[in-house]
Amino acid sequence: MSAPALFDLEHVGYDPVLRDLSLRIFPGEHWVIMGPSGAGKSTCLRLFNGLLSPTGGRLTFHGSPLETMDPPVLRQKVGMLFQEAVMLQGTVEENLCLPLRWRPDSARYTRRRIIDYLHLVELDASLLGVPARTLSGGEKQRVALARILLNDPEVLLLDEPTASLDPPLARKILRLVHRLQREFKLTVIRVSHHPELARDFADHVCFIQAGRILEAGPISRLDQPVAPDLREFLEQSRS
Amino acid sequence: MTNTFYSLTWTDVFASLVLVLVSIALLKWWKIGLEKTLLIGTLRTFVQLTAMGYVLTYFFAQRRWYFMVGLVALMILIASYEGYRRQRSRVRIPRYFAIITGVLFVTVAAVLGTVLQFILHVQPWYYPYAMIPIAGMIIGNALNTASLTVNRFVGELEHRESEIELYLSLGAPPRVAVQDALRESIKAALLPTVNSMMMVGLVQLPGVMTGQILSGIDPIIAVRYQIMIMYMWVTASTMTNILVLALVYRQFFTPRQQLRRELLHHR
Repeated sequence: MSAPALFDLEHVGYDPVLRDLSLRIFPGEHWVIMGPSGAGKSTCLRLFNGLLSPTGGRLTFHGSPLETMDPPVLRQKVGMLFQEAVMLQGTVEENLCLPLRWRPDSARYTRRRIIDYLHLVELDASLLGVPARTLSGGEKQRVALARILLNDPEVLLLDEPTASLDPPLARKILRLVHRLQREFKLTVIRVSHHPELARDFADHVCFIQAGRILEAGPISRLDQPVAPDLREFLEQSRS
Repeated sequence: MTNTFYSLTWTDVFASLVLVLVSIALLKWWKIGLEKTLLIGTLRTFVQLTAMGYVLTYFFAQRRWYFMVGLVALMILIASYEGYRRQRSRVRIPRYFAIITGVLFVTVAAVLGTVLQFILHVQPWYYPYAMIPIAGMIIGNALNTASLTVNRFVGELEHRESEIELYLSLGAPPRVAVQDALRESIKAALLPTVNSMMMVGLVQLPGVMTGQILSGIDPIIAVRYQIMIMYMWVTASTMTNILVLALVYRQFFTPRQQLRRELLHHR
């Protein structure tokens, strides 16, 4: 018997953006969702943590339909890093500790532990008192990543968090995500419209165009794409 | 010196038209183009208030509790419709008319009941000379403050959309996700009332007190009424703001605790 899927999508739709998505994602995998702008990649990502609900089909997490799960519990397990790392007014420490404001077990998180999370994302403890909105783009994404880790997630959704960063810095963030994935045994689902960055550390690829999955499978599919649209997309990106 | 009560005749009221004529002349001189509107406003003030005077005289003569309660209910419904109409032009909030009507009923019942029974000790409890003007003040003030706070809240949601999604994505319940927007909206709506409490008596004499003094009431008694009214206003405003927003913010989320972005983007 094969291992149970973490996410199981059966003919999932979200009117009018996504249609008939079928996909199985297993624990520990690193998926990259590719496709041109407006294809529905970000919408698809929002379905995984319940920020949107499918208008058709069936989407399960650990075998349970998403609509039967408590939304805050699901979202703590399925963290999401947005394109722009939103920092609230206040210090890095206040931003980092945001999830503790509504978590009943917040007393477990001592200052020492908070600093450990900052070190995990390769930031120095001296930043704790700095106004979060004055940080650089890369630093903001790291703080946002640490903030998600504080929720002990199983899944990390990345909505092109490196889009506004230059390629070397973007790679650094992806390398960090890869290290955290191994360390915390995370499943990563990442949106990217950049084929070169898409390959980095990903083991599976899903190509979406006009709301439909045209190709899904191991990352090696990018070497010999079956779908003509994916071939065309890769060629256009190279040129 | 004895107190003198200056009764106003209709001729005196017509004489006060001179004041409006001065305004119209000034507007015409500077070619502002508002003369016609001001003239209509002047006429409507006269007709509406005169009609209201006769309606009140009729109702006051009835001395039946259901007449008074009916009149207050009618005032609430008219105010709610006005509040709903003002809001509709900005963002269509689901169930807004029901929300504003319900909140006004609760606020009026609580504040008016307290004032009539425990402060003024009015007998009978529906004594129209106390009930109707006080209800009118509460409703008018509550409606203005509710419009202010809801408008501000919608603005805050638009401004903080990504922030709210961040909260939700981290597992925060909607109430926590909009906490900052709620706080800012309530502060903004209450500040004018609180500021007027700071300045009252220093810069201007409030309308109720001025009216009472003009009617020959002892200024100390007029002041006592004014103080009670100011306290009543701030309580009614706070209650209305909190109750309205407690019901309105929920309309912006689905049962699955998702932000209904379509409400903010579809005008």
